[in-house]
Amino acid sequence: MIDKRQIRNFDFTLLLVSVLLAVYGLIVIYSSTHFLEDPFHYVRRQGMWLLFGLGGIFVIILFHYVNFYYWAKYFYALVVLMLILVLFIGRGAQEATEALRWIDLGFVDIQPSEYAKPVLVLMLAKFFSDREKQMESFFDLVPAFIYTGILLGLIFMQPDLGTSLVFAAILLGILYMAGVKLQHLGLVIGVGLACIPVLWYLLEGYQRMRLIVFLNPELDPMGAGYQLMQSIIAVGSGGQWGQGLLEGTQAQGGFLPEQHTDFIFSVLGEEMGFAGVVVLIILFFVLVYRILWIGAQAKDKFGAYICSGVAVMLIFQVIVNIGMTVGVMPVTGLPLPFMSYGGNALFANFLSIGLVLNVSMRRHKIQF
Amino acid sequence: MDKKTLARFRFLFILVALSLVLLTTRVAYLQIANYDHYVTRSERNRVTKLPVHAPRGEIYDRNDQLLVTNQPGFVLSLMDMGGGYDSDTIAFLAEKLELEEEEIREKIRRYRFTRYMPVQLKEDISEETMAEIYESRWKLQGISIEPQPIREYKFGVSGAHLFGYLGLDEPRESINEEWTEQGYEYRTGERVGQARGLEEVWEPYLRGEDGEQLVETNYLGQPQNYLDREEPVPGKDLYLTLDTGLQEVATSSLKEMVDEIQEEEDNEEHIKGAVVVLDPNTGAIMAMHNYPSYDPNTVSEDIDELKQDPRQPFNNTAISGTYPIGSTFKMITGIAALEEGEITDQTSFNCQGVLDAANTTKSCHSVHGSTSIYRGIAESCNIFFYQAGLRAGIDAIAHYSREFGLGVYPGLEDIRGETRGTVASREEMEKRGRQWHKAETMDAAIGQTLHDYSPMQMAQYVSMIANGGVHYRPYLVDRVYDYQGETVKEVEPEILREADVSSETLDIIREGMKQTVGPGGTANYAFRNVEEEVAAKTGTAEPSGDSSSHGLFVAYGPYEDPDLAVAVLVEHGSAGATSAAPVAADIMEYYFDSPEGD
Repeated sequence: MIDKRQIRNFDFTLLLVSVLLAVYGLIVIYSSTHFLEDPFHYVRRQGMWLLFGLGGIFVIILFHYVNFYYWAKYFYALVVLMLILVLFIGRGAQEATEALRWIDLGFVDIQPSEYAKPVLVLMLAKFFSDREKQMESFFDLVPAFIYTGILLGLIFMQPDLGTSLVFAAILLGILYMAGVKLQHLGLVIGVGLACIPVLWYLLEGYQRMRLIVFLNPELDPMGAGYQLMQSIIAVGSGGQWGQGLLEGTQAQGGFLPEQHTDFIFSVLGEEMGFAGVVVLIILFFVLVYRILWIGAQAKDKFGAYICSGVAVMLIFQVIVNIGMTVGVMPVTGLPLPFMSYGGNALFANFLSIGLVLNVSMRRHKIQF
Repeated sequence: MDKKTLARFRFLFILVALSLVLLTTRVAYLQIANYDHYVTRSERNRVTKLPVHAPRGEIYDRNDQLLVTNQPGFVLSLMDMGGGYDSDTIAFLAEKLELEEEEIREKIRRYRFTRYMPVQLKEDISEETMAEIYESRWKLQGISIEPQPIREYKFGVSGAHLFGYLGLDEPRESINEEWTEQGYEYRTGERVGQARGLEEVWEPYLRGEDGEQLVETNYLGQPQNYLDREEPVPGKDLYLTLDTGLQEVATSSLKEMVDEIQEEEDNEEHIKGAVVVLDPNTGAIMAMHNYPSYDPNTVSEDIDELKQDPRQPFNNTAISGTYPIGSTFKMITGIAALEEGEITDQTSFNCQGVLDAANTTKSCHSVHGSTSIYRGIAESCNIFFYQAGLRAGIDAIAHYSREFGLGVYPGLEDIRGETRGTVASREEMEKRGRQWHKAETMDAAIGQTLHDYSPMQMAQYVSMIANGGVHYRPYLVDRVYDYQGETVKEVEPEILREADVSSETLDIIREGMKQTVGPGGTANYAFRNVEEEVAAKTGTAEPSGDSSSHGLFVAYGPYEDPDLAVAVLVEHGSAGATSAAPVAADIMEYYFDSPEGD
């Protein structure tokens, strides 16, 4: 199924960068959790998911990505089913938030919302590559809104504000790439903004508090603003070269909340300093650059949309996550792609990279 | 790919690059531009300064016997780490510390304005209890355990008023403020000397300087690493003039006497007593006790009960209570008449049991017949002193009262609360809106009317008779050493004033006092077991109102070369000869019989 030319077109840089990011993540996860009873508990699990992810990529590139054009609706149906299931039989994390995110399969916990992201990318890529020249009326876009809205709504009900915003970002990204009229795009953004007051009433108390303290973190330094202040202090005290791995007093002293998941960047900032941050930013830059480059080289619109969707999906999470840890974005509970502890997210991100690699391998028409 | 799509890819790429640059700029702003600020805040976050308690100075008696010391103990505090107080922790601590949960919550509420500051739950926690709590520390939130020694008063109730006790500074904030103004630093919840005793007055010496331990803590405030340490400087040790043996005898004898009188049938009075023992040659306080007393070791638990006691165990009656001193005053009248030349030791008055003078009729408790000043003192003849008093006049009596420290502050500064009493005089009477009546001179001559003095003043006055009229400042602290054994302070006896009185007069008075313990004297029976030759005077004073008489007694010895002066008060103890004298006799018997008594 894979020929030599496809291997030649295989984008090793993209694979390498994503693996480097995941390994970088493993190191910081170790630093954030090594003082626990089993110092390798989280590292081992994340490492296992990294291997699964590589396996996933291998499986995905076996099939021509055009197959995913046909399979998209089945994946979509499966994800919607799981998202509905999670509302009934899901369980939350042991910690403070009572949001239901996981389905316990016994041997592994499935977090459907993570898989919903690449599935939406596929679904929208298919939808817009089908209607390339048929988007004169705003109503032509309605199915895309419905596809997105169902996923976004189900995830918002968990509730998971951050993740549901990713779906809005993916929609906007692909809408733009598909060349919808700018006034339509503006309308979508306008409607979105108009929804904010409605959204406010739908938010849980803790979510609202997070947004308030984002505007003024000193408001309640020991309460809701605590996480944010501690995170900013951690990053700031990292300086140029950082306090050294396993040496960050904010991280090692437990001042940072959820430091191996949502706030992993704070640990990195504190312990590896600006140097470590620049390395991370460069890795993300190369990652997204390669994805966009592959998109631009894709042999068809479907491939191009997949790449732009994956790029938007990843970069949106990077910006919102890092932005929140350094106090320029509200705390919404989004993981940092490839870095944050969380097997499903890592696996889903690798699958997404697999799709992009697939597009890259088959960017020239295959000669029969 | 078509050009439009490529352009859109380019735009997307620029957007991505721009966002990453902006994020990096923000990170640089935090990490490079504001590094110092955040490092300081991170430092403040994790490094806590824990005080290292300086052990408080110990207190010893004149023979280097330990009186007050420190035992290992702990204080436990609870801190809100931002998530409120954990109810499991409160329940656990309530059980271990034998407190009510509600009690703990009440404390938390009381200190709610000092959020993020530890709330002290209990002090004086023993090592065993602390070990039990420490074993379960992993499931407790926001607790902090600090060593804080338990103050131990070896002799409990004995001389409690000399020491006072340590307490939180709530009842009298002034104490802490006073020391704070003088530059001493106090932690919240730190205990300070209380109750006007040595612990309070000598606070600046006893209290050491706390050291400081920098500790790296995690977000729960639990220590992770110990950093720099500044060693504490222990408090200074006080060496007192107190003689523990004497103090113990005074304590037990007074208690026995008071309890015995209290238990007599139909006694509805509240009996209490006080003893002061001085060295007449220096003013050193060798023993001092009030009964009832309190136990400074357990005062914080007993305080409510003690406050209910009508005998007011917290009062340091020995220095601050004032009483008419009855016949123990008669020496002053004698001195006044002798010094004024109104009588000599040859003068005799005829005691028929009654005396008509100054338009009134006065009586004596006996018929003494022809009585000299010697028998007048020894047998406490009222008629003699009525006559002598009338001859000397109230002004001379008042003058010589003051000469002997009555109506004058004794000058005790080592503990607080001394009184100067009240001298019966024309001026004092006028102050109260009345003219002095001549008949009252007779009452004043036998220590009644307005005369009101403390046991300390009685001891002071009898010391002056013993030492030839020198008023030494009474003192308790003899030497102060720091923890390295260096002398910080050494007290020399201090003469405050000398009475203007002739030695001939004093000799006559002393002779009378010697005869008091001799055959026929009022203290003869009480002193039957005291072999040393001593001088004394009994007194039975009538308090105003209907209550029963106070028993009083003053004495010094040895007669020739005195080194001990004693004053005893038994409030409502009736006759001084039967209530106060036996206590003084016990003290003197012990002092002169014990081998180490010099």
